Amino acid sequence: MASKEASAKTPESHLPLAPATFQILLTLVDGECHGYAIMKEVAERTEGAVRLGPGTLYGALKRLLEGGLVEEGGERADPELGDERRRYYRLSKFGLRVARLEARRLDALVSAARQKKLIGMKPA
Amino acid sequence: MSAPSTTPVGRLTRDRPAAAERTYRLLLRAYPPEFRSEYGREMTLLFRDQYQASGANTLGFWTTVMWDVARSAPALRVEEWRSRGRESTRTPEVTMKTAAMLTVLLGVFLALSAVAEGRAGLQVQGTLEGTHLLAVVLGAVAGALLLTAGVALLRRTPSGRRTATLASFASLVIVLIARLMHPWMSIASQIVGVGLPIVLLAVLYLPRRSGPSAPRAA
Repeated sequence: MASKEASAKTPESHLPLAPATFQILLTLVDGECHGYAIMKEVAERTEGAVRLGPGTLYGALKRLLEGGLVEEGGERADPELGDERRRYYRLSKFGLRVARLEARRLDALVSAARQKKLIGMKPA
Repeated sequence: MSAPSTTPVGRLTRDRPAAAERTYRLLLRAYPPEFRSEYGREMTLLFRDQYQASGANTLGFWTTVMWDVARSAPALRVEEWRSRGRESTRTPEVTMKTAAMLTVLLGVFLALSAVAEGRAGLQVQGTLEGTHLLAVVLGAVAGALLLTAGVALLRRTPSGRRTATLASFASLVIVLIARLMHPWMSIASQIVGVGLPIVLLAVLYLPRRSGPSAPRAA
């Protein structure tokens, strides 16, 4: 779903991404996911530091869909969760570019922090 | 919202956390209607998954749920309000709303004008003749019909549009009959009584030709 916003905005204009938004994009890099799978993976990866409730998750997905960063991948049941049909989401090419740019931005930030010896050293 | 499930998970859902799900559906009302119709079913499914994974109906679980709603719903409401504000200048909806409010005001004007004409006739002649009285009553009815059309239009439903169309047409016919019976009808009443229903019928017809997009099913 390429929206007007997506065609008008450059990938750079989406930066910096909100932490929850970047976590969602990071999850979708591996492939299509439904809401609960996204929520679970984010909670596991961040060791519970980022917990996405239904409102936060679908609010973010709505914005990502409108921005053209994420696309809908259809509806189907997840055998592990029963026979209810679930809507799947996948990363768009534009979304992948935005995620890469955000990852580079964060990488540069971490490198700067390392140079300043904020991280990568044993605490005194 | 969704078909009953026959899996063990579905049976558990049906038997135990049905009350929790009902409560969550009530909480969903905090979200904008469009968002709810688009994502409400998915959000309820996610809530169900979370509920079953947490394993208990604890205070901590509900605090998390309430915090999620309190954090996300107002932001989504503001977003929708802003996007409506952006679109309002270029959508037919604003034309319809303006026409409806104008119709309400002018309908009241037409009804009051008919009553004023009747009172003026009473003051001058002491009594109202049969046709004059009937013309005054018809003028008031035409005003009330326009008022009805405006209110029906503000409801923004298909039945509201039908009511508005019928009321506008009836008002136009009644004003024309009143004008034939009482040729001294004021110019303002004639312009409002004849012109407004015609404009309103045109406004009601034009957006149908442009074909407003149907809301997406959840």
